[in-house]
Amino acid sequence: MEKVCKDWVAEAFDSSLVNACHWKEFAQNAKTASAEILHVQNFTEATATVSEIIHSLKAKTVIAVGGDENPALQNLYKSISSPSINVCTDKFDIAENAPTADLGISTAEFGIGETGSVCVDTYSYEARLVGMLPPVHIVFLNASHIVENITTAFQVISRVFHKGHMGFITGPSRTADIERVLSLGVHGPSRFIIIAIENNPEGRLH
Amino acid sequence: MEAASTNRNIRKEIHKKLQDNIMRDALSRFAAQYPDARLHAYDNVESIEALRDDLRDMKRYTVDHIATIADTFESSVRERGAEFYRAADGKAVKEYLMKICEENNVHRIVKSKSMATEEIHLNQYLKEKGLHVRETDLGEWMLSVAGQRPSHMVMPAIHLNRQQCAKFFSQELKEDIPSDIPFMIQTARRVLRKEFLSADMGITGANFGIAENGAIGLVTNEGNARLVTTTPRIHVIIIGYEKLIPKIEDAAKILRLLPRNGTCQRMTSYMTMVDGPTPVMYKKDGKWIEEPRKVYVILLDNGRLKAANDPKLKEVYQCVRCASCLNVCPIWTLVGGHVYGHIYSGGIGAILTGLLNGLDDFSKFSDLCIGCRKCVTICPGKIHIPDLIDELRARNIKQNGLPLPEKAVFQNILTNRKIFHALLRIGSIGQKPVQSGKFIRHLPLFFSGMTKDRSLPAIAAEPFRDRTKKLFQKNPDKPVCKVAFFSGCNLDFVFPETGESVVKVLQDLNIEVSYPQEQSCCGKPVLGIGDRETAKKIAQQNIEAFEKSSADIILAACPTCAETLRKTYCELFADDTIWGPRAEAFSRKVHEFTSFVADAYKRAGRLAPTAGTHKITYHDSCHIKRGLGIYKEPRALLEAADGTQFVEMENSDKCCGMAGAFGVKYSEISLPILKEKIDHIKNTGAKTVAVACPACMMQLRGGLDQQAPDIKVKHIADILAEHLH
Ligand code: SF4
Repeated sequence: MEKVCKDWVAEAFDSSLVNACHWKEFAQNAKTASAEILHVQNFTEATATVSEIIHSLKAKTVIAVGGDENPALQNLYKSISSPSINVCTDKFDIAENAPTADLGISTAEFGIGETGSVCVDTYSYEARLVGMLPPVHIVFLNASHIVENITTAFQVISRVFHKGHMGFITGPSRTADIERVLSLGVHGPSRFIIIAIENNPEGRLH
Repeated sequence: MEAASTNRNIRKEIHKKLQDNIMRDALSRFAAQYPDARLHAYDNVESIEALRDDLRDMKRYTVDHIATIADTFESSVRERGAEFYRAADGKAVKEYLMKICEENNVHRIVKSKSMATEEIHLNQYLKEKGLHVRETDLGEWMLSVAGQRPSHMVMPAIHLNRQQCAKFFSQELKEDIPSDIPFMIQTARRVLRKEFLSADMGITGANFGIAENGAIGLVTNEGNARLVTTTPRIHVIIIGYEKLIPKIEDAAKILRLLPRNGTCQRMTSYMTMVDGPTPVMYKKDGKWIEEPRKVYVILLDNGRLKAANDPKLKEVYQCVRCASCLNVCPIWTLVGGHVYGHIYSGGIGAILTGLLNGLDDFSKFSDLCIGCRKCVTICPGKIHIPDLIDELRARNIKQNGLPLPEKAVFQNILTNRKIFHALLRIGSIGQKPVQSGKFIRHLPLFFSGMTKDRSLPAIAAEPFRDRTKKLFQKNPDKPVCKVAFFSGCNLDFVFPETGESVVKVLQDLNIEVSYPQEQSCCGKPVLGIGDRETAKKIAQQNIEAFEKSSADIILAACPTCAETLRKTYCELFADDTIWGPRAEAFSRKVHEFTSFVADAYKRAGRLAPTAGTHKITYHDSCHIKRGLGIYKEPRALLEAADGTQFVEMENSDKCCGMAGAFGVKYSEISLPILKEKIDHIKNTGAKTVAVACPACMMQLRGGLDQQAPDIKVKHIADILAEHLH
């Protein structure tokens, strides 16, 4: 899968900017923005968590990206698929199934403490579909990859953003266009779930 | 450039809007909630001011280097493989766009909100050309279905309620849609999803365009912009020059403020950056293919480059279109955006319209800024909106001349102090039979003659200037300093007793007071309408009058006068080598009454708060609070006054609604603003409301007279004078 940066950790991060100490503020702001946060220790735990979500959603079709870059994620995708659950990871498969998929799964590069946003690298078409078309979107985030604020986020971004498509997601899609009543899920997902991986020794999700 | 309308009757439109209870309810609820919600979003930043400074400085740098930054942006865009086109105006955009559509066999277009395309009426044009175009922002989509215009830049449909929305849904979808909000949202999702998936082309604007790498950024909550930049095989970006920024990191300077000010969020749900062609997939002959998306960037001028080269108006480049200036505008929050008549509403809307459509369109609704300066305190880009409006008013008068009645009054009467004052005296005799409880705010009073629905204010039988001789007999023998008093028209001809109080308070401080008899109106009424030439003549008379006095201090007890004397005179003569320095020397001596006295009382140990029982509240005049930055001093004086108990009212610094000629010309708007003020005063339970401004005093008395006659309105000078022993 094409990306704005193949390896954000090596090329964009630096420990003075990206640090787990901003987690608390991140989590608080993300929740305020109606994001759901789930903690797991590793990808084994993550597999169980995702399975539970699929079960509760009664999801039949899942579209997922990031497996090519990360074997652990690839395994996760393999283990959640079953005869009754179609997990699409091929890009054309994703394109074909996106309009009817029940769940999209992708990865985030880092979180932003000040706002509760996650930064997503959506260079590839399938990465965008996964986050926008299904009613529920899960992103995996390394819990120690958090920057303090928008300013530091852009310091990180400016190191690698030469071309492509990327941005921030802060909670689910929302509108207040009718009587300023907040409603979720107008064009994009109505649920945005961040699965924070606590213990990821190699520091990378992909 | 397209003019949106001709021969509008703006008063009729205002009248209609004021009858629209659905809209008025929505706006007043929003206006009440907005300020706190905004501040809450900033709770976790150290200094809002520092962020605003950063944004302003970055934008200022950009506009000063706009040509090179635009060149860099262009080459960045081209290097990445996108097409780039500079459009001089709307016509150029449309022609270029049609070419793209024809070359690429485009039939269906989805759009995400873009003010620039609204500005050039693009949708209408594309529809005429037989293209299928859909707005995808929910509010914009509903309005386009309803054939209405947005009334707010960020909340386009704020003037509608759910029943009205349901009606538009039903009309468009030809099925019966209940007025249930979640149901309507899901219906819109279903309908617009089809549009996204079948569109050939997506058109977006941009919240910023980065020269360094050619990326554009879009912020939305619904995610429609993210879909518009995802599904169609062609992406057209229409971006104005003012959206350019030099570096990637500069985007942070916008993004830390825009969502907080715009929607009271720390960040919107989606912030999307698009930089050059990225892959897109679509089905061709039943088979999925992937190829690079075609990206076209159109950089729109339409008057923007001219503004960039204008030393005053280039400030508009600091605007990030957050619309927060509307959210705090006492006029906008009453009448909504439609009466402004153009795409951009509110004060900033008047300015942008002046730049894009010309001064004629500007002048149609430039009156709707009352100069309260509330917007200046929150604008992320720190734009001085009322000052830019004044600038455009002045240019408009220069270009088109004054309307006839004003011309006669201003140029022949106001510049001649003797005639002017003689007329005021006649006014005091002539008014007796028509004297009523109604007042108007600013002298000169000729304005009231031009309006039929209000009577003259009560002009005192003996103006202040005739009382000075007697008053000054009580001047101290060995004064600590000498003050020359500038009364302004109101204290001279309407409230001479307050003028007397000023003198007494000063004499009690062992100060010698004088009154240069040749002083005249400060000139604010003519400045307000944009007649700077007349204002200069008046200013010269005043400067000369005070140069003859030997006083150390020039003191005004009207903040509007103080601001005009202190700030505006210097600006008026900025390029004048003779009058410039004279105005400077003059203005350095000018002080406002409450701040001057508070300072003296403090030094004399007379500013300690007292514990009394007489409840007193205070209304901040716009000019004293935001024009002069004085708000602590009047409160300190009131807290120290014997027997008083000071209580704050809600929104103490919101305009009382009269603002010079405005309150007379648009009494329908002025009166509801006054009513709200009076409700806030009543809620405090205070028996007295203090002001530091005679103009506010006039307005509040006019309102309290009828609605709460037992509450007294007093100038602080009067309160202090009462407490002298
Ligand atoms: S002028 Fe200032 S407050 Fe108004 S829309 Fe522009 S940036 Fe926002």
